[in-house]
Amino acid sequence: MAVTPSSLNVEIPASAPARRHPKIDLRVVDPVRAAIRDGSVIGVRRTTLSGNDAVAKGALEVGARFFAGYPITPSSEILEYVAKHIFRCGGTYLQMEDEISSIAAAIGAALGGVKSFTATSGPGFSLKQENLGYACLTECPLVVVNVQRGGPSTGGPTDVGQSDVMQARWGTHGDHPVVVVAPYSVQECYEETIRAFNLSERYRIPVIVLTDAKISQMKEPVTLPAQDAIPIVNRAKPIGTQQGYEPFGLSPTGIPPLAGMGEGYRAHFTGLYHGRDGLPTRDPKMIEEQMLRIHAKLETPTATAEIRKTETYFIDDADVIVVAYGITARAAKDAVVQARREGLRAGLLRPVTLWPSDAEVLPEVLGRVRKVVVPELNLGQYITEIQRLAYESARRNQIVPPEIVPLNRVDMQLISPAQILQELRS
Amino acid sequence: MSIEHPVYLEDKLEQIRTSGRLHYRSKSLPTWCPGCGYYSMTEGVTWALNEIGTANEDVVVVSGIGCASRFPFFMETYGFHTLHGRTLPVATGIKLANENLTVIVVGGDGDGFAIGGGHIPHVARRNVDITYLLFDNGIYGLTKGQVSPTSALGFKTPTSPFQNQDEPLNPLAMLLAYGSSWVGQAYAGRPDHLAEMIRGAIKHRGFSYLHILSPCVTFDKTDRTYRRLDLEVRDLPDNHDSRDRLAAMSEASTTDRPALGVFYNEQRRTLGDALDAVVEKAGGVPRRLAVRQ
Ligand SMILES: Cc1ncc(C[n+]2csc(CCOP(=O)(O)OP(=O)(O)O)c2C)c(N)n1
Ligand code: SF4
Ligand SMILES: [Mg+2]
Repeated sequence: MAVTPSSLNVEIPASAPARRHPKIDLRVVDPVRAAIRDGSVIGVRRTTLSGNDAVAKGALEVGARFFAGYPITPSSEILEYVAKHIFRCGGTYLQMEDEISSIAAAIGAALGGVKSFTATSGPGFSLKQENLGYACLTECPLVVVNVQRGGPSTGGPTDVGQSDVMQARWGTHGDHPVVVVAPYSVQECYEETIRAFNLSERYRIPVIVLTDAKISQMKEPVTLPAQDAIPIVNRAKPIGTQQGYEPFGLSPTGIPPLAGMGEGYRAHFTGLYHGRDGLPTRDPKMIEEQMLRIHAKLETPTATAEIRKTETYFIDDADVIVVAYGITARAAKDAVVQARREGLRAGLLRPVTLWPSDAEVLPEVLGRVRKVVVPELNLGQYITEIQRLAYESARRNQIVPPEIVPLNRVDMQLISPAQILQELRS
Repeated sequence: MSIEHPVYLEDKLEQIRTSGRLHYRSKSLPTWCPGCGYYSMTEGVTWALNEIGTANEDVVVVSGIGCASRFPFFMETYGFHTLHGRTLPVATGIKLANENLTVIVVGGDGDGFAIGGGHIPHVARRNVDITYLLFDNGIYGLTKGQVSPTSALGFKTPTSPFQNQDEPLNPLAMLLAYGSSWVGQAYAGRPDHLAEMIRGAIKHRGFSYLHILSPCVTFDKTDRTYRRLDLEVRDLPDNHDSRDRLAAMSEASTTDRPALGVFYNEQRRTLGDALDAVVEKAGGVPRRLAVRQ
C-alpha cells in the first residue's frame, strides 16, 4: 500500500531501503513471551496442553466471551474446550447449525460489544469466507481459527496440510486487509491466539489463526504467564457526545473507536460501501477514502511494528536459508542445526505473521543470501510471496536474486528434516 | 392508530408529526418504489416502538439483502445490514451480547426461505428472544423480479419463463412445525392491523415470527397484487385459540384464503433462560453481569 488519503493523516514510511533489521522489542512483537520472562517464578504456570486446547485457553484468558462454532475435524476440540469452560469465565457459546451461522453470530456478538471468535477447518473455512469479508469491511474485531487439514474439498480430515495459506489471505472476494498468524508449537498456539485477539481489538480487523491438524492434536509442555500478567488489549471506545458518533470516522491512527450496541453511540453497519456514518454511499471519493483507510491503518509504523513478526534463526551470516512456517518450520529448525554441524552457513526465517508478509525482515535477508528453500505442505503457495519479495528486493538493490527452491508434499506426510537438509546441501 | 376515512395527505402528515414516532426515523428517506408494500414497515415498526416506548439506543434492526432489507437505513436506531440470508445468526449473536436490546429482524422471502432457510429452525427451536418480520412478496424484488420459494405455481418471471413449476413453501406451517413460540400473519394493505401485530410480536418474550404479505408493485403485475390480496385475505376466526398449535396448523393450511392475526402464542423458556440455567450448572458468573467488558 503506497497510497494514503491525504486527509487521513496516517503516516506511512517511504519504502525503506534494505537494511539490517533493528533489535526487536520483545514486549511489542512477543508480549506473552515477555510476560512469561518478566513474571515471577510463582506466577508462571507450567502444564501440558494440545494445540487446540492452547488456542481455546488463550482465547478465554485474553477475554473472549463469545464463541460460535460447528464441529469439524480436526478443530472440534476448540468448541469442546470452550463449551466446558466459557461459562465459568462469564461468557457464552453456541453450537450453530453450520459454519456460516457460526461466524455470523460471532460477528453479531463482536459488534454487539463482546470479544468473539469461531474455529473451523478447511471446508468450514470456505463457508466462512463471505462473512469474513463482511467483517473486514465493517472493521469487526474478530478471531477466526482455521486448523488446516488436507484439501481441496473434504480432502484429508485427519491429515495435516498447509494449503489454506492463500485462502487465508485472499479467500473472500474484494480487496481486504487481514492478518494471519501461524503458530508452530503448542506454546505458540496459546501465545499467538492472545496476540491475534489483541491485534483484532486494537486495529478493528479480523485476525486468522492458522494452525494445522498436527499441531492442533499434539500435546506439549507449555509455560503460561501468570493470569494477571497476560497482555490484554480492548477496543478503543468512543468518548464525548453520542450525537454524531462516526463508527467509520477519521482519526490519527485510522482506527475509529467502536462502541458496543446499547451503549448509546448509535451506529449503522453494512457490507455495502459506506461513509463515515456507516450508511451506504456511492460517492467515489468516500468509497476511496474508506477503502484506503482500512488498509492504511495497518501500515502505520506502530501498526507494522506490532503486526509483523518473523523469527530469525542463525540468519546473521547465513548464505543458504529455509523460509518455513507452522509445523514445517519445526523440521526446518532441525535441518538448519544439522547443516550448521556440517559446516554449512544455514539459517531459518520463520514468518509467524504470515500476512501481511514481513516487508522489513524478509526482503533484507532475501537480498543477501545465495539460496532459499521453501518447504510447504502444499504445491507451492507462500513461495510465491517469497519470490515476489526476493525479486523486488533484488531489482531495487540491483543484485542477482537468490535461487528459490520449492519443497512440497501433499501426500499427508510431514516434510522431514532430512529432506530439507538435502536441499540445503545441494 | 385508527384512521378515519377518507385520509387526506395533510391529515396524515399531521398525524405522523404528532405521533411521536418520527424520532425513530433517520434522515434517509425510504427508496422503495412508490406503492411498494414495504412502506407499511417503517410506519408499523416506528408506531409499535413508540407505543411500547423503547428508547432508540435499545433497538437494533437487523436485515439481510433485498428490498425489504434496506429498512435499517431508514431507522434512527442501531442498524445491522448483514449478508444475504444471514440475519438470524447475527441477531442471535447480538442478543447474546446484550440481552437488554430489542432485536428486530427484517427480510424478504428469498432472504429468509431460500438462502437463509437453514437458520430459521434453529432460532425457532431455541426460542431466541428476537422478532422476525418477513416481508413476503413472492418475488426477488432487488434483483428485479425472479421467482422465489414462495412464488405461486404458474408464476411467470425472467427465471421462470415457462411458468413456475415448483410448489411454493408454506412459511406459517414451517414456523409452527419448527417450534416458533409466536406466529402471526399480517398484510401490508392493512397497515393499522400490521402495526398492531408488530407491537404484539415485539412484546412477545421469545422468538416471534410475523409473516407479512406485501405486493411488489413493480415486478409483479399479475399475482400478489393489492387488488387480489384485498379480496383473498380474511381475519382469523373469532374463536381461534392461539394456544392450540394444531388449530394454528389447520388455519395455516388454507393458503388460498390467507388469514390475518395471531396463529400461535406460547410462553416458554427462551435461549437466554436456558443459558442462565447452564451457567448455574457450570458454576459460572451470571451472564447479564459478566459478558460485557
Ligand atoms: C450470496 C448472495 N447471493 C445473491 C445475492 C443477490 N441477491 C440480492 S437480494 C436477492 C433476493 C432478494 O429477494 P428477497 O429476499 O425476497 O427480498 P426482496 O427484494 O423481495 O425484498 C438476491 C438473490 C446476494 N446479494 N448475495
Ligand atoms: S422492486 Fe418491488 S419489492 Fe422492491 S421496492 Fe420496488 S415494489 Fe418494492
Ligand atoms: Mg421478496
